[in-house]
Amino acid sequence: MKKAPKVNEVNEFLEIASDFEDPLEVIRESLSNSYDANASNIEIEIKSREMGSDIIIDDDGDGMDLRDLESFFDLGNSRKTDSIGYKGHGTKIFYKSDEIVVNTVHDGTNLRAVMSDPWKKLNNRVLPEYEVTETPVSNLHKGTRIRIHNFRSGQGFDPESLTYNKIEHYLKWKTIAGSTAHMFEDDQHEMDITVRLGDEIDDSYPEVETKNRLEFPNEQLEPDYSSDFPAERMCKHYGPTEVEADYDGGTTTLHITGMVGGKAARNELPTYGKHSAQFGVWLAKDHIKVERLNEAISHDNEFLHFFFVVNCQDIELSANRETIRNKSSPVFQALKEATEFHLSKVAQDPWFKEYLEIRREAEIKRRARNRRASLKLRRERVESGDSGEPSNRTEVLLTLARENENTLPGQISVEDYEPDSDVHAIARQNGKLRNAAVHCSLTNHFNEELTFEEVDLIICWDHGDPVVLREYERQGYLGEDIEIDLEENGLLYGDENPTYVEILPLSHHIEPMSPRAVADD
Amino acid sequence: MGDARAGKLTIGDSVIETPNLFPVVNFYGGGTENSVYGGGIHRTVKEFMIGADRIGGDDAYAKFFDAVMTSVSSLTDYNVSKERYADYVYEPIKEREVFSPFNGVIFLDSGGFKFLNNESLDGSDFQEDIDQAKVFEIQKRMGGDIIVNLDHPITPSDTHEERLEKARKTGKNIEIFLDLSDEYTGARYLTLHGYNYSMMDAFLTEITDYVSAEKLRSSFDGIALGSLVPMKDNRSALIDAVIDCHEVLHDWGFDKLPLHVLGISSRAVPLLVALGVDTFDSSTYLQNAINGGYFLSLMETVNVNEANFDECDCPVCSSQHMRRWMRGNAPYKKDMLGPVAMHNLIIQKREIEEVRQRVKSGDSSSLVEYIEGTVAQDKPTRESAHRVVNHSLGGYFQ
Repeated sequence: MKKAPKVNEVNEFLEIASDFEDPLEVIRESLSNSYDANASNIEIEIKSREMGSDIIIDDDGDGMDLRDLESFFDLGNSRKTDSIGYKGHGTKIFYKSDEIVVNTVHDGTNLRAVMSDPWKKLNNRVLPEYEVTETPVSNLHKGTRIRIHNFRSGQGFDPESLTYNKIEHYLKWKTIAGSTAHMFEDDQHEMDITVRLGDEIDDSYPEVETKNRLEFPNEQLEPDYSSDFPAERMCKHYGPTEVEADYDGGTTTLHITGMVGGKAARNELPTYGKHSAQFGVWLAKDHIKVERLNEAISHDNEFLHFFFVVNCQDIELSANRETIRNKSSPVFQALKEATEFHLSKVAQDPWFKEYLEIRREAEIKRRARNRRASLKLRRERVESGDSGEPSNRTEVLLTLARENENTLPGQISVEDYEPDSDVHAIARQNGKLRNAAVHCSLTNHFNEELTFEEVDLIICWDHGDPVVLREYERQGYLGEDIEIDLEENGLLYGDENPTYVEILPLSHHIEPMSPRAVADD
Repeated sequence: MGDARAGKLTIGDSVIETPNLFPVVNFYGGGTENSVYGGGIHRTVKEFMIGADRIGGDDAYAKFFDAVMTSVSSLTDYNVSKERYADYVYEPIKEREVFSPFNGVIFLDSGGFKFLNNESLDGSDFQEDIDQAKVFEIQKRMGGDIIVNLDHPITPSDTHEERLEKARKTGKNIEIFLDLSDEYTGARYLTLHGYNYSMMDAFLTEITDYVSAEKLRSSFDGIALGSLVPMKDNRSALIDAVIDCHEVLHDWGFDKLPLHVLGISSRAVPLLVALGVDTFDSSTYLQNAINGGYFLSLMETVNVNEANFDECDCPVCSSQHMRRWMRGNAPYKKDMLGPVAMHNLIIQKREIEEVRQRVKSGDSSSLVEYIEGTVAQDKPTRESAHRVVNHSLGGYFQ
């Protein structure tokens, strides 16, 4: 006995409709459908409603016949073979609504299809049906108008989250409105796209208008040295380039186009989501960006400078078009390698190298300018006699050297300095060598958990927090008693045969400097 | 075409096409005339060169030896006795009966690199002190078609002072060399050392204390850029050196002379051609064979045990006799690897021929295409390949 496997149709519809998480995908699907129907104008209107949104999509394309209408409502029964929507999944997003009304004029016939409560019925495990009525119209009319009532857009179309700005960038980033096809094909027809949002969503503009073309910022090959950021608006276009890539089983064609540029140039590109997450190399199908492939750019050339679109029709997409499914296939491997190879040429382009060099030099000059500003402050501080406290061991020793001749008891010269050892310096005082620890504050010796066994002398700027020192006296240090006499500047360490260590706090010997005469330079 | 150039190098009555690759051949490998003077795998290579009976008596191989590289210092590589050494330098290579089928150009290096630490030829029972006069005498006796002065190559760890000292020693040798070789009928090449423009410029400045620039220009027939062996695996440094060398030679008025780069890995050949180098020598074909490496192309090597000889139409792989040898069915191990070396050399020679034709076509895009399909496909050398295309062949995105 043979048996055919069954499909639970309701579950399939529910599954597919739920698969689309971003309500903006309604717009993406509609634009592609209208483009495929040869529309030269499409208008989309979105209004906020209590339960969701009302959406109207109106185009002047070739319209649908009965068979087209069926594949509009059917699942996995598309008449397309290769372009967006060939799986017949896209329009099923409309099922998340209270009503779908389609009016379409094709060859002098108007077909009107109405489907009521699709979402409610699916959730009640009932397959929704639609009613079609046919009326003749004059041949002057053409096009399709789709009205979706109470589309369950979740938070997506709320006034808080949807703005003209967001729509425009989404259009350019995720839909045919951001297509790069026009750079390669002469037969890509132009389509005017208009989106209108209800005033309750965004009343800052009456509407947004764009075309089905992504344009790069204008080229600017030369740096602008009048700016502190001379490379910022530099921009070079690469392509369009057609590349054939062979793989085990055939050949695939890549259409690569892109630009390299500074931040100001890149800011002229549309943004969708996180600005920094959109640069690099995008893989595309139907010339619409899908996923990034930033490993195609070597690490030493940050992907941030690049914006490339690599189109390949042999990419297979998930139902919601968000991810590439055939990443383990030989064709995808070939695509990756060819992309990497092409980008390696861009990265070695002398113009790009020069652009990086101009950025680097400008960065160095900016840093130098900042340093110059701080140098001025430092000089002013020195001239005012307030050189401030030493902030590291070396500065402590410089202070010692500077003040030796003036104020210190007994000349001390540093003969050897190893800042990383326990005994930082070997000093000579009155002809004798002494082992010295050097600290900004005496307390640092304890913080760094250094011993006193080999130390004769601690050279420091000051004692630090006396309370901390008292605590060590009270509790002992590294298991031994310690006595610190800050008046006499000495300490005794150890229970048996204690070690005596002299303390030299430089700040105690130095008067604040009066401003000194400065050579005029 | 860009910096790449194709031409003919005429030495005496030999003419070779450039760019060209000189395989390293060891004419004297410790043996006697009966064993084509021996040398293990070198012996088998020489048997191919002269079309010996052992390899089937085929003269199809002679054309791959239109020019070869050998060195004075290799005479004692095999720890020979004084008597045998005397025999080796007794008469010119090409006048020996056994080598009579061979009529390629012999580039006879002075062996400066080997003599760097020990200025003598050490045999089993003798030591021959080496200086410029001695080296020239040996070059003359062996009949080098292209000879160079005895040089003192530099190493990456040399200080500036050490480099200058070596340049002075080389300068003295050049003076002696030009004097001794005034009547010499072969071509004389000047050795040039340095990793960048300033180093080479300093080298030339130093040697012109001994021989004037005019005299260098009028006496030498070519330039041999040396000291790059330590750069073998640093493609980028090699390219820097060659680009700078071109500039120095131009500024010193030597740019009309043919340029030879000493001792490189054959994979760099297409890039060096693009940069305007005329000839190179390489022992890669041998080194790879010794390790069982069988070339599929300039870039691809497989172990000879995995090689499919049906996919190669070279005379070695077309011979059943040689295939048996390569499969290990040979009298000696060297006979197993000798044919592999010969096959490797043919692959290299065919590639250089291909490169030469593309340069001759005058269309730089055809050389770019070649580099794209070979050197640039190899990730470690990809960046260097692009660099050369940008520097010398007009770039990709103009």
